[in-house]
Parts: sequence; structure tokens; C-alpha cells
Amino acid sequence: MATVNLENIKKSYANGFEAVHGLDLSVGEGEFMVLVGPSGCGKTTVLRMVAGLEEVTSGTLRFGNRVMNNVPPRDRDIAMIFQNYALYPHMSVSDNIGFALKLRKMPKDVISKQVGEAAGILGLINWLDQKPGQLSGGQRQRVAMGRAIVREPSVFLMDEPLSNLDAKLRVQMRVEVSRIQRRLGVATFYVTHDQTEAMTMGDRVAVLNNGSLQQCDVPQVLYDRPNNIFVAAFIGSPSMNLYEAFLGSNKTTLSLGSQSIELTDDLVKLRKGLNRYAGKKLIIGVRPEHLMIPGSNDQPYLYGDVDLIEALGSELLVHFSIDARRVHASGVQEDLDTGFSISGEGVARAHARTNVSIGNRVQIGIYVEGIQFFDPTSGNAIWD
Amino acid sequence: MPPGRVFIFLILFVVSVVIMYPFYFMAVTSMRSQSQYELGKGFSFASWIQLFQSVPVAKEMLNSLIVCACAIVIILVLATSAGFALAKAHFRGHGFVLLGIVGGMMIPVQSIIIPEYVNFVGLHLINNYFGAILVYVAVGTPFATFLMTTYFRGVPEELIDAGRCDGLGYGGVFTRIALPIAKPALATVVVLQFIPIWNDLLVGLLFLQEPNVRTFTVGLGVLASSRVVSIPGLMAGSLLSTIPAAVIYIIFQRYLVSGLTLGASK
Ligand SMILES: Nc1ncnc2c1ncn2[C@@H]1O[C@H](COP(=O)(O)OP(=O)(O)O)[C@@H](O)[C@H]1O
Ligand SMILES: [Mg+2]
Repeated sequence: MATVNLENIKKSYANGFEAVHGLDLSVGEGEFMVLVGPSGCGKTTVLRMVAGLEEVTSGTLRFGNRVMNNVPPRDRDIAMIFQNYALYPHMSVSDNIGFALKLRKMPKDVISKQVGEAAGILGLINWLDQKPGQLSGGQRQRVAMGRAIVREPSVFLMDEPLSNLDAKLRVQMRVEVSRIQRRLGVATFYVTHDQTEAMTMGDRVAVLNNGSLQQCDVPQVLYDRPNNIFVAAFIGSPSMNLYEAFLGSNKTTLSLGSQSIELTDDLVKLRKGLNRYAGKKLIIGVRPEHLMIPGSNDQPYLYGDVDLIEALGSELLVHFSIDARRVHASGVQEDLDTGFSISGEGVARAHARTNVSIGNRVQIGIYVEGIQFFDPTSGNAIWD
Repeated sequence: MPPGRVFIFLILFVVSVVIMYPFYFMAVTSMRSQSQYELGKGFSFASWIQLFQSVPVAKEMLNSLIVCACAIVIILVLATSAGFALAKAHFRGHGFVLLGIVGGMMIPVQSIIIPEYVNFVGLHLINNYFGAILVYVAVGTPFATFLMTTYFRGVPEELIDAGRCDGLGYGGVFTRIALPIAKPALATVVVLQFIPIWNDLLVGLLFLQEPNVRTFTVGLGVLASSRVVSIPGLMAGSLLSTIPAAVIYIIFQRYLVSGLTLGASK
């Protein structure tokens, strides 16, 4: 068992590209830490540095109190699961699972006992003599899991282990991986680009973008109090609706395009930072579930035109547009200036039997307490 | 059968006749004595008996085998270790090294054989298995290395990473992961090197002249250039000399096809 500590970790590749810019992160004993971010943001790089497969350019990596920067992978006591599983194609399933134990020169009977146990947990007993090539994707994934758990490592590293599975199996394995991790209580670094996976599996989630940590916290906090518009937009599906808005000098009138709503005094008091934006532009974010269709006159509302309706069975996703400018946050810094789209499309969750149709102009109620505020230049959240 | 297939079968039939006819000729001719051969009919073992009487077949076959086996083992050791390093060690300048090796593939043995001979005389490597083996290795290694490099490039990086996480160092990754999964490439190298080395006459003739180190092909060459040339005896010898190559091919052909199409698709 161990904790993992990253202190100001940087990574520059041989071509001079800096993929990770000073990352501070720690994984507690037995903690399930998810590293999430869009493709190319540096997740794999971080994981490979922790594994020792990639050199740390600067900063300190510790397992417990021990500095690991220059320790080779085989002496780190880690187990890694790769995105494409990386099973040894020339070995049977049982040899794949037992390989690390064999290299540690464990006695044969101990190895076969431990391989048997792992195979039992993963439902692979009937496949032990097969070669990986004869297995289905799901079974290969299990073998990769087996190879990791049989070693009883002090740290698990998993790089998008479920991304090659079909949707149904992915959901099933999500639960299974979490269950096994909790049972073994091993500190885990889990990389994914899928925010749903991150939210459902992680004890804590670290959101990474362009090689920088955006926020690291428990899933609910990421959802309720995103640090910046990147986290706000990345976490949650459908994504948070982000608009350019204008706060009146009275600090309570919020204009969105040609329409406006009134904020409550309580809300403004709670977010002291808003005082600095009186009479200024800012960015607001509203979660789809904080928009009510149809709205009513006893809460703030806007009018929007319905563009599209997605019926999910349990609910409707109503896509609408208003004349405020929509903000996209794919890469916060670059997009702030250019990322405003002309039509202010947005999404609202509505009850499955809501009576709306495409082309309607609808009244959209807004749960004002749920609105998030962001600085329009830095993209950072406005609190106090 | 659709006409297209008939056409293909026809072509294949013609090609196989062209390929098989020399074997047929060798087989039939070797089963005749010189006079029967001149007559064009008859059947006897005379030429086989003659072959075994005039040529130390067992000794020369053994010589061929020693030279062949040693050369191939050395080629395999060099080509696999160099190929793996070129494909996976990511050292500085590996592109240049590979370019040099590919350049080596283009040098015909005929162009270096005389300087080589002069060098080897100085080094006392003439009429010595090792001299011939060195030449075969020098000629065969570049292509074998190129083939192994291509093969190892296709090995996913993550497989190597997995091995390193499981406790292997560079050498361990090479011997326990890279080599076992390179079996098709190894088989390809063995077959593609065995056939030319076994059949070689030029290098053998120059470097292995003395009777006690002669390879079988050199023995046959000597037979062919003697005063009285027995065509049936020569055919018997030639037929005999094709057998090992055929055996090697049959043993390894299971892997050969997948080895030859390497790199064609991922
Ligand atoms: N060996 C390398 N050399 C140079 N750049 C690399 C190398 N590996 C990855 N990168 C770059 O580093 C960035 C992060 O890559 P990676 O960690 O694989 O991202 P992720 O796993 O989040 O998709 C990408 O922009 C990628 O192009
Ligand atoms: Mg990745």
C-alpha cells in the first residue's frame, strides 16, 4: 500500500514539446483517483511518468516518502493496464496473468493458486488455457485486469481500460473495476476521457487540460462548483450552457442578449465577487436541469426557440436558442476571444411528457441559485 | 467454374510445369546410366552408385550443414538484436544506421568477393569453415536485419511497456517477449538465408577448396568440371542437394507466408 505524490511534475518530450506543465497531485492510500480530460491533454503522459515508462523532466514523484523519479518500472511495484490491453500474444491466459509472479521467481504452486484466485474473481476460469487472440474484447480486458491484480501492487495505473469495449459492457465493467479496486484497497490512478466514467468511478477526479490541472476534487464538487469554464463545460452531460451576459450596475439585473432576468439579493451576497462585475460583462453557466420547460411567471425566465428535441424515454433534452452569445470552452484560453457563436443554442432537461415541439417559442424558467459565474477573460469562476 | 478461375488455374498449371520440369528431368536422368541416358530409355541405379563412390557425399553434406547452420545462427543473433535495437531502442541516429544497413543490401557479393579473398588469405581464413561463414554472414545480415527491424516495428510499444512493468529489463523484454512473438520473422530469415547459402557455389569454390572442408555444391562443381562428365551422376547429386532446402522450406513454410507479408498491413 502506498500513497502517490506528484510535486510540480513537468514533462518535455525530446522534440521540445512540453506535455505537462507543473502538476501537483496526490493519491491517498486506497484512493481511486481519476484523471480526466480531452484527448491529447497529457493524461497518458502523466500515467507513464508514474509508471516509470517515461522520464520525469522536473519535479518530484513520491510513493509514500520515497522519491521515485529515477526508479525503473520494475522496481516501482506498480501494475498498469493499457488501453489496448497489451496482452502477451504468445502466452496463454494463465501465463499472461502469472508472468510477473514467475519473474519474481515465486514457486509454481503459489503462482497457479494466485492465478486461479484472480481468474475466479474475474470469471476467467474456463479460459486459462486460451491464447489472447481467441478471446473477445471483454475477456481480454479481464485478463488485463487479472494481470494487474494478481501482483498485489502498491499502485494501480489504468489508461482508458474500458474505451475499447462496447457501451453496455463498458457500463458493466465500470462497476466491476470499481468493486475490485475497493476490495483490494490499492491506490489507483485511472485515466479516461469520458467524464461519465470519471464521475461515477472516482473518489476524486482531476481534470486536466492542455497539460495543466484545472481542478481536483470529489465528483459532486466538480459538478457544483467548477473552478473555471473548462471544468464547467467538460463535466456534466449534456454540457453546461455557457453564455456571455451583462450584469447591471444594480448587481441583480442580468442581461442575456435582448432579454434579462433578476438575480436574488441572497445570491449576490453569497457571491461577493459579483460586486466587481457590476456594470460589466461576464460569463454565466446554467446546467440543463436548472432550466425548466415550461417556465412560469413566479420565477425568472427567458424565451427561447426550440430547435431540436431528443426523447431519451426518461426525459426530453430540449435544444433551444436565444439571442445571447454562446461561449464554448474546448480550450479555454484560445477560445475566449473567438469561441462565441452567433446563435445562443442551449439545452434544457424536461419531463418526458412535456408538451413542446420544434419551432415553438417556449418560456424557459431558470433556477437562479444554480447559475455559475465566470470571468470573461480568465474563464475563472467568480465566488468571493 | 467461372471463366476467370479457369484462366487462373491454367496459368498456375503452366507455371508449375515450368517449375517442376527440371525436377522431373533430374529424377528421370539420375535413374539411368550414362549409356541409357544417351539412348533416352532404361532404368538403373548406376549413376547413384557412381555418385557415392566418386564424391564423399556424407562428409560434404556435413560440411554444408556446418557452414549453413553456423552462418544462420550468427545472422539470427545479429539481425534480431540489431533489428530490435533499431526498431525499439530509439537511440540517436538509428535512421542513419538503418540506411547504412539497407545500403549493404544493395552490394552484390560478386563485387566484394575478390578483395575479401585477398583479405582472408592474409588472415589465414581460406580453407577454413569460419572464413566462408563470415562471408555468408556479411552478405546475409543486412537483409535479415532489415526484415527483423520491420517486424519489431510492428510490435506495439505497449507490449514492451507491459513487460517492463511486469519486471523485465531491456534484455528480458528482448528474449521473453520480442523473440517469441517474432517466430514468423525468424522462420522467414531461416528459409530465405538457408536456400542461397546451401546452394552457394561461388563463395564455397573460393574459400573452401580443400577436399576436407568442401561443401556439397563445391563437390558437385568439381565433379562437373572433371574430365569425364557423367550427366546422370550430376543429376543424382543435384537432386540430392535440393532435398535439405525442400525440407527446411516444408518445416518453416507454415510461418513463412505470414512472415513475407509482414509490414504489408499492420
Ligand atoms: N513521444 C512523444 N513525443 C512528443 N510529443 C508527444 C509524445 N507523446 C505524446 N506527445 C504529445 O503530448 C501530448 C499529450 O499526449 P498524451 O499524454 O498521450 O495525451 P492523452 O493521453 O491525454 O490523450 C499530445 O499533444 C501528444 O501529441
Ligand atoms: Mg492517452
